Amino acid sequence: MSFREKSAWIALLAYGGVFGAYFIALWQAWDPANGQPLSIGPLVAAMFAFVGIVTVLTIVAALLNPKAANAPADEREKLIELKAERAAAYTLSTGVLLSMTGLLLGFNGYLIANALLASLVAAELVKAGWQIASFRMGV
Amino acid sequence: MAIENEIRRLRFAHGEMTQAALAEKVGVTRQTIIAIEQNKYGPSLEAAFRIANALNTPLENVFRWRKD
Repeated sequence: MSFREKSAWIALLAYGGVFGAYFIALWQAWDPANGQPLSIGPLVAAMFAFVGIVTVLTIVAALLNPKAANAPADEREKLIELKAERAAAYTLSTGVLLSMTGLLLGFNGYLIANALLASLVAAELVKAGWQIASFRMGV
Repeated sequence: MAIENEIRRLRFAHGEMTQAALAEKVGVTRQTIIAIEQNKYGPSLEAAFRIANALNTPLENVFRWRKD
């Protein structure tokens, strides 16, 4: 497995695990009458957890194969990243448009902010998943 | 993919060169050499020439167009 595929796996696990837990907590605590069940604390905790997990796992992956970690991306890796970023951009655009629609329909700012965050996370999950699939099945 | 290659055969004919050694000479990852060998990735023209050069053979001996 190449270093960039490992990086994609790390991103997939970190985004899926940390923000999956965050959004599940948000869903369980959601009270439509209140409309703002969680403070900013869980989001900040999720951000720190995400950065910590990605940093530690990336350092471990780099230490296991420093040569590969320091090597520049080759043409296939660059192509895979570009295609994955295109798919992620479509995902993010769709999420932003849906969030804007929610704003027009009168949903509160807290919900819209989380919808935008979910769009960003979904885009990153699509990017990482696309990269892994491309590395495995070919471009 | 419509492009086929003889990289695997040529590697063995070239002192049993490993995929890693070829990748090092070409300047790509071993995974990219594997993908090219398995016809999962069509390399750029420059990479194709680099592969041919590393195997000391003309480009047409390495890659060929498969007519369907």
